[in-house]
Amino acid sequence: MIGRPTAIALIAAGVVLTATAMVLPWYSTAYAGGVEVVVRAWGTEIVDKPGDWPAGELSPWYGVPVVVTLALLVAGIWITRAALAGAAGQVGAAGVVAALVVSERGHALDQQGDFAIGFGLVFLVLGTLVALAGAVALQREAAA
Amino acid sequence: MRKIVGIVLLGLAAAAAAGATFLPLSELLIRLAPGQPQTAYVTTGWSTRFGGTEDEHGPLFGIPVVLAAAALLAGTRWRRVAYAGAAGLAGVTGMLFVYLLNAISFHEEGNIAIDPALEAGFGNGIWVLVGAVVLAFGAVVVHPDD
Repeated sequence: MIGRPTAIALIAAGVVLTATAMVLPWYSTAYAGGVEVVVRAWGTEIVDKPGDWPAGELSPWYGVPVVVTLALLVAGIWITRAALAGAAGQVGAAGVVAALVVSERGHALDQQGDFAIGFGLVFLVLGTLVALAGAVALQREAAA
Repeated sequence: MRKIVGIVLLGLAAAAAAGATFLPLSELLIRLAPGQPQTAYVTTGWSTRFGGTEDEHGPLFGIPVVLAAAALLAGTRWRRVAYAGAAGLAGVTGMLFVYLLNAISFHEEGNIAIDPALEAGFGNGIWVLVGAVVLAFGAVVVHPDD
């Protein structure tokens, strides 16, 4: 069984990986004419935006729910239950991002665009899984 | 008694969450030309439709919701699984809320010139999901396990 120090180290690693994901691109789609849509935790950047681009900003702050789960994970170092809430909440939030990624990839391929996963998404997935492993280990250790 | 109440609340929360995926999460009602009937742009957990046309790559938000609902059902046996399921459903709902809030604002801003009287907003599905989260955490509180 994983001991408390290892479980806390896993949670801390999950926090660092997820925090890194907050500043890196999550995914992007490149279209003809050099237009590129880059999705990040704190907004969507459109490179070489053409004149006929739709009005309005489709730029959700996906980072907001992730910051809440990160805060719960950090609190989980002292309050065991908070770690589980943070990790499970982050799994749920990442599930919505996964649904969006599959959808965006489908749209991109339909329009002959090049879809690419960014390092931010890789770090988010890794951070979520590592934090979940730590949170589960912390629950088991507390119950033992 | 607490056991029965906990199981009933978890069952209700899971059913509400799964049911919410079939309800509109966000809606845009717009007249594309004066005098024409309104066309609805509706996002649910399983489809995105504009009038009679379905976006074949619409995001399937229903999948993470149903997985969280399944965790809630498994939680009828173990309190910590119920707690994780409730937190997972809260995470799904929070991220969905952020996405839909921006999508609604995008639809409003992008189409206001076409129809100044357009109606855009959250659908009932998101409020049922929020209700499911509240029910799920309520179930955790009364759960008799540990």
